[in-house]
Amino acid sequence: MKPSRSRVVLAAASALLLCAPSIHAQQLLVPMDDAQQNHLKAYGLTYNALKAGMKAEWLLNYRGGAFLLPDTPELRRRAGLDGITLEGVDAGQVAAIRTEIANSNMDAIPLEKAPKIAVYTPPDAPPWDDAVTLALKYAGIEYAPIYDEEVQRGDLSKYDWLHLHHEDFTGQLNKFHLGYRDAPWFVDLVQKNATSARKLGFANIPALKKAVAENIRLFVERGGFVFAMCGATETLELAIAGFNVDIAGAFADGTPMDDNADQRMNWKRSFAFQGAHLEQSPFVNSMSDIDGHQVNVPGRRQPLGAFTLFNFSAKFDPVAAMLVQDHRSVISDFYGVTTSFTKTTLKPGDVVLAFEEGAPWVKYVHGDYGKGTWTYYGGHDPEDPQHAIGNPPTDLSLHKDSPGYRLILNNVLFPAAKKKPLKT
Amino acid sequence: MPRSRSLKLVLGVGIAVWGASVAVAQVPNPNPQADSTAFYRALDLEGAGKFKEAAVLFRQALHSSTSVSALLGLERAYAELHWTDSLVAPLDSLIRKNPREQVYRAVQLRTFQTLGREAQTQEAFEQWVRDVPRDPAPYREYARLLLQRGLAQRADSVLARARIQLGGSGDLQLEIAQARAAMGQWEESAKAWRLALAASPYLEQAAAYALAPAPNEIRDAIRAQFFAQPILVPARRALATLEAAWGSPANGWLALRDLPPDSSSVAAWLDFAQRAEAEERWTHAREALANALRWRPNADLSLRAAVAALNSGDPGGALILAPLTSGGVDSARIARTLLPLHVRALAALGRPATAERLVASYDRWLTPNNRAILARSIAFGWVRIGDMTRARGALTVAGPDADSSDAAGWLALYAGDIRTARKLLRAGVDASPELALALSLISRVREDSSLALGQAFLTLARADTGRAAMAMVEASEGLPEVASLLLYTAGQLRASIKDDAQASALWKRVVEQYASSAEAPAAELEWSRALRRGGNGVEASHRLEHLILTYPQSALVPQARRDLELLRNSIPETQ
Repeated sequence: MKPSRSRVVLAAASALLLCAPSIHAQQLLVPMDDAQQNHLKAYGLTYNALKAGMKAEWLLNYRGGAFLLPDTPELRRRAGLDGITLEGVDAGQVAAIRTEIANSNMDAIPLEKAPKIAVYTPPDAPPWDDAVTLALKYAGIEYAPIYDEEVQRGDLSKYDWLHLHHEDFTGQLNKFHLGYRDAPWFVDLVQKNATSARKLGFANIPALKKAVAENIRLFVERGGFVFAMCGATETLELAIAGFNVDIAGAFADGTPMDDNADQRMNWKRSFAFQGAHLEQSPFVNSMSDIDGHQVNVPGRRQPLGAFTLFNFSAKFDPVAAMLVQDHRSVISDFYGVTTSFTKTTLKPGDVVLAFEEGAPWVKYVHGDYGKGTWTYYGGHDPEDPQHAIGNPPTDLSLHKDSPGYRLILNNVLFPAAKKKPLKT
Repeated sequence: MPRSRSLKLVLGVGIAVWGASVAVAQVPNPNPQADSTAFYRALDLEGAGKFKEAAVLFRQALHSSTSVSALLGLERAYAELHWTDSLVAPLDSLIRKNPREQVYRAVQLRTFQTLGREAQTQEAFEQWVRDVPRDPAPYREYARLLLQRGLAQRADSVLARARIQLGGSGDLQLEIAQARAAMGQWEESAKAWRLALAASPYLEQAAAYALAPAPNEIRDAIRAQFFAQPILVPARRALATLEAAWGSPANGWLALRDLPPDSSSVAAWLDFAQRAEAEERWTHAREALANALRWRPNADLSLRAAVAALNSGDPGGALILAPLTSGGVDSARIARTLLPLHVRALAALGRPATAERLVASYDRWLTPNNRAILARSIAFGWVRIGDMTRARGALTVAGPDADSSDAAGWLALYAGDIRTARKLLRAGVDASPELALALSLISRVREDSSLALGQAFLTLARADTGRAAMAMVEASEGLPEVASLLLYTAGQLRASIKDDAQASALWKRVVEQYASSAEAPAAELEWSRALRRGGNGVEASHRLEHLILTYPQSALVPQARRDLELLRNSIPETQ
C-alpha cells in the first residue's frame, strides 16, 4: 500500500526530531560521551562555529567533554550532513547543566576564537601521511601547510598553533638510510631537503633543521602553541638542546657525531626533556633514550600496552583537563618512530597527561615554555598501531569515534579557550 | 627500595639453583635413547607452557640424536623466559663439536641479534664464512636477519659480497629479491624473483606478496620481467596472483594465456579458472578452461568450460565446447548433464524448436522434474523470439507442475497478467535480481493487468536494454503507484549501457516528482554518482547534501556521507 502523504510528512518530521534538537531550543548541546555518533566531526563543528564568529563553551568532564553551541540553522545543517549528534537545550536545561557542573569535578570553559593553525609538513606530503592532518581534514578544520622556507622567513608569527609532522629535526632523516638508502622515495627526500638547505644558506640538512627547530622554540617562547607527535617530539628536543653540538652522524653532515655530545647538550633550552643520552651509533635506528619503546631497534623494542589518561581537576587544572577530554580513559597504545617518553628524561615541571601502568615511560605530556605551551603525544597513528612505510592510509570515516584521535583534536581547540585566572 | 632488592635476591638464588641443575645435566648421557625421551618430554612441557622445566630437558637432549630439534626447542623456551643469553654457551660447544651444522650457526646469529650484540653477530657470521668459504648458507642467513630488521642496504652488501666470493648468486636469489623489494628497487626485485622462482616454484605466493606494494608507475616494468622470454610458468603464475592483488584479475589472465601447454600450465589454468568461477568472472573462466581442455580433454572440463561460456553470454561457444558427443554413449548421463546445457544454449540463441527436438530425443531418460526444468528453458527460448503462444505451449507440454512454476509466472507477467504473475512468482525459488524487481513492482501495482508493464519486462527478457528502459518509462505513465520504481529502474538500465545523461534525467524525475517515494533517496544517490563520474563534483555534493538532510532515516545515508567525504577529499580514496 502506498503511504499517504501525511504519513510521509509525519515520518520525515519525526526523523528530523531524532537527529536534531527541539525547534524551541536556545542552544545546542554536542554530547561527547557514547551518545555521540561522530566525535571527530564534532570538533570540526565547534571549530567552524568559532571561525564564523559564534561563541561556544567546552563543558569539561560533562558528558565526555561536551560542547555548548548557539542554536543556528547552519550548525544544525552541518551537524545533519556530518552525522553529528546534537541535543537541543532550553534555558532551563542549560541552568540545570550549569548547576551540575558547579557541584562536580567539571567546568565550563568559554571558547572565543578559532586558532590559526599551521602544520609543518613537506609541501608535497599528502594529508594521509600524518595523523594530525588526517584528523584536521576529516573534521573539516582548515590549516596552512608550512615548511622550512616559510619558517625561516618568519611566517610562524602568523599562526597561533603549530603541529609538527613526523620530522627529524636532527637532520638525519630518521636514519632511514639504514634500510632505504636507494629507495626512490628516500633519494627524493634527501635531494629535496639538501636543495632546500642550500637555497636557505645552510651547509647541510642538520644545520637547516636545527635553525628551524630554533625558530619553533622562539615561536613557543613568544606565546605559540606547539603540538608534536611521533619522531618530531624527540628530535625537536635534541635539536634545541644540541643547538651548538654536532649530534648528526657522518652520513648526514659529513662529520661524525661529537664524542662528547651527551655532556655538551644544553637541556635548559629544551621544552620537555633533560639528561637524555644520544644514540652514538649511526647503524642503530634510534635517536636517544627519550623513546621508551625503540620500535626500530629489534633488541630493544618494547611491546605495546595501553595508556591511561589522568583525571584532572577541571576547575583547578583546566588546561590539562581540556587536553584529556575523552569518552575512554584507557586507550590502546600505538607505535611511532618515537612511541613514548621515558620518565627519567622528563623535566620536573612536565605535566604527564597519560601513562602506562607500571611502565617506565609515559605517552602524552604537556608543559609551559616562556609565554607559550607545548604538548607531545608519542606514536604515529592511533588507529594503525604498527604503521609501516608503504601501509595504506587510515580512513577516519571508519574510526569516527576514535578516542586516540580525540586527543589530537583536543589540542586544536584548547588554544581557543578564554584565559581564565587559575584558582591555584 | 628494600622490597625490590629482596625480590631480586630471591630471583638470583632461584636462577643459581636452576643453573646448578643444568650444570649437572650438561654431562653427556651415555644413553641416547633416554635423551630422545627427554626431548619428547620437553616438547610436552613446552606445549603446556612450562618453559623452565622444558628448557632443562631440551638442554639435556642437546647431545643426543635429537640435538638440532632440541636446540630449536631450547631457543623457543629461553625466548619465552627472556633467558636468550643462556643460549650462547651451549651454542659455542655445539658449534665446536659440529662446525658444519647450519642450524647451530643460524641459531647463533639469531641469538646475538636478539641480544642486540651487533659486533658478535657480525663476528659469528665472519667465522661461519671462514669455516665454510664456498657455502652460500652464511650469507643467506645473515642477509635474512638483516632484512628482518629492515636493514635492506646492509643485506644487499652481504649479498654482493656473496656474489664475489661464490662466483655467482644462484642460491641467494630469494634474499636478493627481498632486499631489492625492501629498498624499493621493484624492477630489480622482480628480476631476482624470476630467477628465484626458476629454482623454487613454490615461492610464487612469496613473490606476489613481496611485490604487491609496488607503486602503480613501476608495475609495467615488473610485468615486463615476468613476461620475459623464455616463458617461466612459476613466474607467470606469480604475476597472475600479483595482478589479483593489484585489483586487476583480468590482467592476470594475460599472464597465463600464452603458457606452453604442459602439465604445469594446465595446473595454472585450472587454478585460475577455479578462482574466476568463484568470482563469477565467466569470460576468464571460459578461456582458462578452454585452454586446459585443449591439452587435457575430458568430459568434466568440457562441461565446466561450456557452462562458463554460457554464463559469459556465449551460447554458441558453449555448444562447441561441450558437444553431445563429449558425453560418450551413455544417453542417461547425457540427459542429466549435457542436455540441460544444450537446451539453455539453444534457447539463448533463439532456437527453441531445435531444443524441443533435442529434448524429445532424450525423453525416455528424463524424470518429470528434469522435463519441467527443460520446458522452462524452452519457454524462455520462445519468449526470446517473441512467440508467447509457443512459450505457453512449451510449459503445458511439461505438465501441470511446469504450468504452475515461476516460469509460468514470468510468462504471465510478460503477457501483462499481473494477478497470475503475483501468485506464481511469489512461490519462485530461483532468486535473482530480476525476480526481486518483478516482485517489488507487482506487489505495489493495484491493477490486475498491465500490458505496458508486461511489455517492459518482455523487452528486458529479450536483452534489449535501451528499449526496455523506454518501455518502463512508458509503463510509468499508467501506473502512478509504481512510477518512481519504474523510472528509477529505467535509470539503472540506462546507466548500465553507459548512458549517464538519460539515466540522470530519469533519476532527477524521481527526486523531483516523487520526493516522498522509497526510490527518491536511491535515485538521488545514483544521480550524484553519475554527476561525479561526469566530473561535476559541485552538483554531486549538492545532491548528496540534499539526500542526507531530506532523508536522514534512509539506510543510504551512510553511503551518501562516505561519497560526500570523498568529494570533499577529507578521506583517502580506497585502493
